[in-house]
Amino acid sequence: APYVKAQDKKITWRLQTYAGAALAEFVIRPAVDAFNKAANGEMEIQLYTADQLVPTGELFRAMQAGTIDAVQSDDDSMNSPVDIKVFGGYFPFASRYSLDVPTLFYEYGLAEIWDQAYTEVGVKWLSAGAWDPCNFATNKPIKALADLKGLRVFTFPTAGQFLSQFGIVPVTIPFEDVPVAMQTGEIDAIAWSGITEVFTSGWVDVTKYFLTNNVSGGWAGSFFANADRWNEVPEHLKTLFNLCMDSSHYHRLHWYWGGEAKLRAEGGRLELTSIPDAEWKTVEDAAHVFWDEVAKQTPRTAKVVEILKKYNADMEKAGKPYRYG
Amino acid sequence: MPDALKTYVRVVDAFNRRVGRIVMYGIFVLMGILLYSSASKMMLLPANWTLEMAQFVMAAYFLLGGAYSLQLDSHVRMDLLYSKWSPRTKAAVDVVTILMLFVYLFFMLYGGVSSTAYALKFGETSYSAWSPYMAPIKIIMVVGIFLTFLQATSILIKDVATAIGRPLA
Amino acid sequence: MSYEMIALLMFSSMMMSMLTGQRVFAAIGVVGVVAAALLWGNGGFELGFSANMKLLKWYALLTLPMFIFMGYMLSESGIAEDLYKAFHVWFGGVRGGLALGTIGLMVVISAMNGLSVAGMAIGATIALPELLRRGYDKIMVSGVIQAGSSLGILVPPSVVMVLYGMIARQPVGQLWLAGVFPGLLLALLFAIYVVIRCWINPALGPALPPEERDMPLIEKLKLAQAGVLPFLIFFLMMGLFLMGITSLVESSAVGALGSLFAAWFKGRLTWEMWNRVLEQTLGITCMFMWIIMAALCFGAVFDGLGAVKAIEGLLVGEMGLGPWQILILMQVSFLIMGAFLDDTAMLVIVAPLYIPLVGKLGFDLVWYGVLYTITCQIAYMTPPFGYNLFLMRAMAPPEISLIDIYRSIVPFVLIMILGMIIIMAFPQIALWLPQHVYVRG
Ligand code: NA
Ligand code: NA
Repeated sequence: APYVKAQDKKITWRLQTYAGAALAEFVIRPAVDAFNKAANGEMEIQLYTADQLVPTGELFRAMQAGTIDAVQSDDDSMNSPVDIKVFGGYFPFASRYSLDVPTLFYEYGLAEIWDQAYTEVGVKWLSAGAWDPCNFATNKPIKALADLKGLRVFTFPTAGQFLSQFGIVPVTIPFEDVPVAMQTGEIDAIAWSGITEVFTSGWVDVTKYFLTNNVSGGWAGSFFANADRWNEVPEHLKTLFNLCMDSSHYHRLHWYWGGEAKLRAEGGRLELTSIPDAEWKTVEDAAHVFWDEVAKQTPRTAKVVEILKKYNADMEKAGKPYRYG
Repeated sequence: MPDALKTYVRVVDAFNRRVGRIVMYGIFVLMGILLYSSASKMMLLPANWTLEMAQFVMAAYFLLGGAYSLQLDSHVRMDLLYSKWSPRTKAAVDVVTILMLFVYLFFMLYGGVSSTAYALKFGETSYSAWSPYMAPIKIIMVVGIFLTFLQATSILIKDVATAIGRPLA
Repeated sequence: MSYEMIALLMFSSMMMSMLTGQRVFAAIGVVGVVAAALLWGNGGFELGFSANMKLLKWYALLTLPMFIFMGYMLSESGIAEDLYKAFHVWFGGVRGGLALGTIGLMVVISAMNGLSVAGMAIGATIALPELLRRGYDKIMVSGVIQAGSSLGILVPPSVVMVLYGMIARQPVGQLWLAGVFPGLLLALLFAIYVVIRCWINPALGPALPPEERDMPLIEKLKLAQAGVLPFLIFFLMMGLFLMGITSLVESSAVGALGSLFAAWFKGRLTWEMWNRVLEQTLGITCMFMWIIMAALCFGAVFDGLGAVKAIEGLLVGEMGLGPWQILILMQVSFLIMGAFLDDTAMLVIVAPLYIPLVGKLGFDLVWYGVLYTITCQIAYMTPPFGYNLFLMRAMAPPEISLIDIYRSIVPFVLIMILGMIIIMAFPQIALWLPQHVYVRG
């Protein structure tokens, strides 16, 4: 941004999140505001919400080309040209709790793998965090796997590929179009988030039921930046940005953890339904077949699957409260 | 006008007309996909490709059709002043202002080529579960913009001819 | 330079570029891509094409070519002639009766397509020659046809409401239902105007001689069969959608297929007609899509400059206006812009700035969609830039001059503004139907 920069004598970044405007107020705006305040005029981050400057599917491309400087998204949604993008967003049954995600990244070695993969394609991977679990919000009650058959579902590409075997038809549309698409019949269900986001994004107005079984316990997403832009940032502002990303991750951890429980416990506008655990077990088993297929794609995906397996085995072994039964 | 330019105009116009006459049937492809989508949904066997495929067909329809629509003069103008001018004045002004069209198309072409190169290099697939390769539709888009660019040059030549008082028939 | 100044500069450059008479999409697009490049350097070079990728995902636009195809098919199918004959016989005896019949025809045509083009084509080719032959006042009937055909975007289905729904993120089905009574209200107001004018001055719309319209009741009822096909098409499109059987874009395809069958059924499908319809459908679709594509690029830069916040800051903060004052100011600005700007560009560029504020002020966005649609109808008719004006000029017989066309719209624009004020004062006219008929869309 040479023209504007010369005028303002400060670094200006355009950061686009994949969250829509309403949700962004909770999950990214506070961190950006905090950064801008603390940067004290030396640097300013301008926040853009889902599809505002560029369509979500083009986020990676736009960041690489410099149309935007930074992105908050999962690898799957932003369509990263890296083999590990399948693990971003909701990789089926990779995590049980949101805390699993940072543990996998920072204690089990995913961070190094991500850093290397994105360096190869000229983008700086900055930091990963967890969001909410992935449940279904629907207009008809889902009480058995068979009820999912034939539903057109707004969901993440990878989750959609996985769920297709149970008869759902995954549909991708811009995030902000979801409520209208529910009403115009373009989609019949949403498998994109936990119950907190169903409320925050206003999807509660167009759905009636919430399926408590989840496909994943925690969304895995990251902050990314155009590598050149990141290198231009002075060290002290890099540190500040890191702190703000951490604070954003931290806030989401308790916001979702508490939100999911509270909205389920207090009930209200969505009726909760469940598929019996024994039946849901078939979905979980199918996920492990899916893992093995993904592991065959590249040595790197094999490595990630190996880590996921090791981690889940450790958690099983650790027993309660890490894993029950 | 030099013969070479006349030939150029004739070839470009004829080619774009041919493309447009084929592309205009794309509406039935679009209709077919949407009707199939509806029918398959009723039989509880909806496909995961219909909506996205329809979007691709739509993009091909209006981008490949862009050149022919310029030729047909389908695009509106704000004619507050324009409508009062003689054909020759109109042509003379268009010779200058068509620069706006060229600049716009140039940037579209630049972005399109860059985006297509990216799609080819990384084997980009669409952000969806169906996940088709993006290169084919991007190539079609670029071709459409390029043909529109060619049509604009043909129009420029015709406008110059009209402006200097020797219109091409 | 402040961002507000840049935004202002962009908007005025766009208006200047358009004044040169260059194609509207090029005038909008060039400002968008150049501004992006100047502001964001290399990074901005690709914003034009990026807007195109965004457009790819606007699935509701798939309805656009379908509705355009449907409109042309219907206007060529001969359905309108039969209908007009029926209206002719029923209303002919009243002073100004043929003009009333034309309004009725326009309402029915409006219920079968989503734009004003079909209504204009039918009005200018079928109704207008007949009205002039019968000695109707040319200025009055020119206005009747332009205003009547504009109901195409208010009476469902409506392309403008599809676009508005995309941008305001409001359910299209609700918007369409909200347009029903306002559409009928406007038609009624037009009719009252015609009746009053002809009552004061019978020469404006002489009644038909009895021998042309006296026929046994059974014959008159037979003519009503002309309404069967339009009803079927309306049902195929709206009914299946509202019942939840087809999705929005699917129902537009069903409607398009229905219009094709209607033309075939009436024996109008000739090779020549076929080519004309397909060519016009491509041309008009390209016109709309290229404007939207350019406007999306312009809008992305505009939005990127924080124009939404600037507008809010100006109206709420600096000017300290109340909700209703702001709403009225917005409508007035739409009316002024609508005189000069293409309504699609206006929607893509300006509406995203206004709509968040309208929502924040506590107004219903479905109701606002109806108000916005009426401003579009007015924009179609107000010079210098308006689709109905262009079409009227292209299709009207030579005895109707440009001045006649400009004069003809004055009373109807005033009536539409009156209609808009009534709907502002009584939102239930728009909202009763969507609130009482449950639809998922
Ligand atoms: Na309509
Ligand atoms: Na106008």
